[in-house]
Amino acid sequence: MSAQNRVSNQTKVITGNAAAAYGAMLCRPDVVAAYPITPQSELIEQLAQFHADGILDCEYVTVEGENSAQNVVCGASMAGGRTFTATSSYGLVYMYDAMFNTAGYRAPVVMINVNREPPGIHAVCSGQQDMISVRDTGWVQLIAETCQEILDLTIQAFRLAEDYSIQLPVIINYDGYYLSFLAESVNIPAIEDVDKYLSVLKSQPKRPTLIPGEAIGCGSHGIGMGYVELRRKHMAAMDRVMPIVDVIDEEFGQAFGRRYGGQIETYRTEDADIVLVTSGSAVGTARTVIDAKREEGMKVGLVKLRLYRPFPVLRLSDALKGKKAIGVLDRSICFGWGCGPLYMETKAISSNIGHVPMLSFIDGLANMDITKEHIGQMIDTIFKASQGDSYQEVTWLP
Amino acid sequence: MSTIEKKRPKVFEYFQSEDQFAGGVAFCAGCALELNVRFISKVMGKNTVLVGTPSCSAPVLNGQNVAAWHKLGHYACTMTGVASSATGLARYYQRAGIDANVVCFTGDGCAQDIGFQTLSGAAERNEKMIYICYDNEGYMNTGIQRSSATPFGASTSTTPVGSQSQGKTTGSKNMPLIMSMHDIPYVATATLSHLEDYAQKLVKAKEKAKEGFAYIHVFCPCLVGWKIPMDDSIQVCRAAVRTNYFPLWEAVDGKFQMTHKVNKPKPVQELTSRLGKFKHLNDENLAILQSKVNKRYKLLQALCEAPE
Repeated sequence: MSAQNRVSNQTKVITGNAAAAYGAMLCRPDVVAAYPITPQSELIEQLAQFHADGILDCEYVTVEGENSAQNVVCGASMAGGRTFTATSSYGLVYMYDAMFNTAGYRAPVVMINVNREPPGIHAVCSGQQDMISVRDTGWVQLIAETCQEILDLTIQAFRLAEDYSIQLPVIINYDGYYLSFLAESVNIPAIEDVDKYLSVLKSQPKRPTLIPGEAIGCGSHGIGMGYVELRRKHMAAMDRVMPIVDVIDEEFGQAFGRRYGGQIETYRTEDADIVLVTSGSAVGTARTVIDAKREEGMKVGLVKLRLYRPFPVLRLSDALKGKKAIGVLDRSICFGWGCGPLYMETKAISSNIGHVPMLSFIDGLANMDITKEHIGQMIDTIFKASQGDSYQEVTWLP
Repeated sequence: MSTIEKKRPKVFEYFQSEDQFAGGVAFCAGCALELNVRFISKVMGKNTVLVGTPSCSAPVLNGQNVAAWHKLGHYACTMTGVASSATGLARYYQRAGIDANVVCFTGDGCAQDIGFQTLSGAAERNEKMIYICYDNEGYMNTGIQRSSATPFGASTSTTPVGSQSQGKTTGSKNMPLIMSMHDIPYVATATLSHLEDYAQKLVKAKEKAKEGFAYIHVFCPCLVGWKIPMDDSIQVCRAAVRTNYFPLWEAVDGKFQMTHKVNKPKPVQELTSRLGKFKHLNDENLAILQSKVNKRYKLLQALCEAPE
């Protein structure tokens, strides 16, 4: 039995952080660089233990800060390696300058971001403001709902990032505390099955890398048309991400029996009059409430946003088209528009879906629980708006 | 521990090696940086990957907006990310069994100020790479602002001389000595008036980088920023050595030694009188600068004389 399969190829109760570590280990990264930060630390400790036990064969670089973590993985990726890092909140912000390079150099780095509030050093609690704030760095961003999905998305992220048609870095976000420290039953696949799943990458052309002895450079976007060309190509790659996320999800389903819907998951939306859109750990609570409302006869559905960047405009438009009212639950805020940022983006597709009442709900900041009661209130408010009642566009709960 | 070969090529032999740079590279006429980077590539050889930043060296090293270029692999990154990006490159090359000299080449502003944390981190981890700092005592590329390498009394665009100011009020950070305290295999100072000495140090750095981190601090005048004539940069380097303003030394596995002893050091005026950035200095401030030079040299001497 391989060293990896002594700890995998089984179902275990593990935390979200551990699930991410298992996912990364199973993809056999060449170089891992990371710096500890609450609530991510457990993840990189787990990887260090895998490394110490010979389960993770890689260069494990224990850097002196997140900015270096990002630069190490970018450099190693451009040299030709498979790379992984993980961070949270201020750590993500401290990588900000380097994140532009990683994406601009088209380095297929995979990174976990354990969502945590950034303003205030004592706000050591969950919230999505960190991921929102790096929106335009050029990274692909995905959001996980459960510990199993964290592990599965980590594997899928390598498949996506390194695809020859993509070559972009990918962030997998999951809620700090609610998921990082939640222990759930998680199926950990056998490493051979993960190898097989990722083997399609080996059949693709080799991406360009920085090889000593050759006059190859990287990191020079230049100015003028050279720069414009690279930005256009970056954007085109980002557009290719949307359909391929669906393909990868289906491939994963065929290999491991678990499918998540690709860019978005729709839940009871088909015949729904009203829909709530949300993401992350709140989705589980929302499903329960939707079921209860359906029992009462209310035609309500749910959209779980899995792909945040690029924004799944077409899939989301299809899911929301023809609905009578739409609500979006955010765990962060958007200055200038005075609403939630996912709401702002959903509102931007209103010309695709028809002009119906749209409502922004801001909840779950700084570990304030998004309760069943809160979601019940949101759905009732959306319902009333769909009936022609006057409504307030933005609601803060609690 | 690798052994250092006794017989090494002489400096003129390196000048027979293939020039990795094209003619007409985009440096100022008479810039010491050009000699510096061409010389490094001759000694380091073809399997070198240069890691650099936005700076005077950027247009040439990273091929930004210039026709004349070089044949080496290069990696451009932000000033915060040089030693860390190089770590990533070096670690993957080691893992993949790819032979490479990963050479960071940055100015003092990157090495000592904004990139210091990541440099210190890479040194502490003893990454197998070479870091060469070309010290032109400030941010020359962005318009001659002060850095932590700017010496006491120097006039820069952010420490200008005025009715209330006589230039920079504090001394410079003793960067090579700080690097030597990282317990790394090799640290050296070098300058362009003493190329034989520099060549030997580059060779040693290349060898010691197989064990861990090697750091070379190169005194590298800026004609524009220091206000000196374009044919004077090598004389300025020589004066810096002769005055003990910039002593040439190395520390191999923590053992310090002078590599060029100055028997009768000249007063610091021999250097400062050549540099426009110091022309306002009065006797009192010159005495302060001289005392800083003396103090720093005594500390270095003590380290060189320290028992094993």
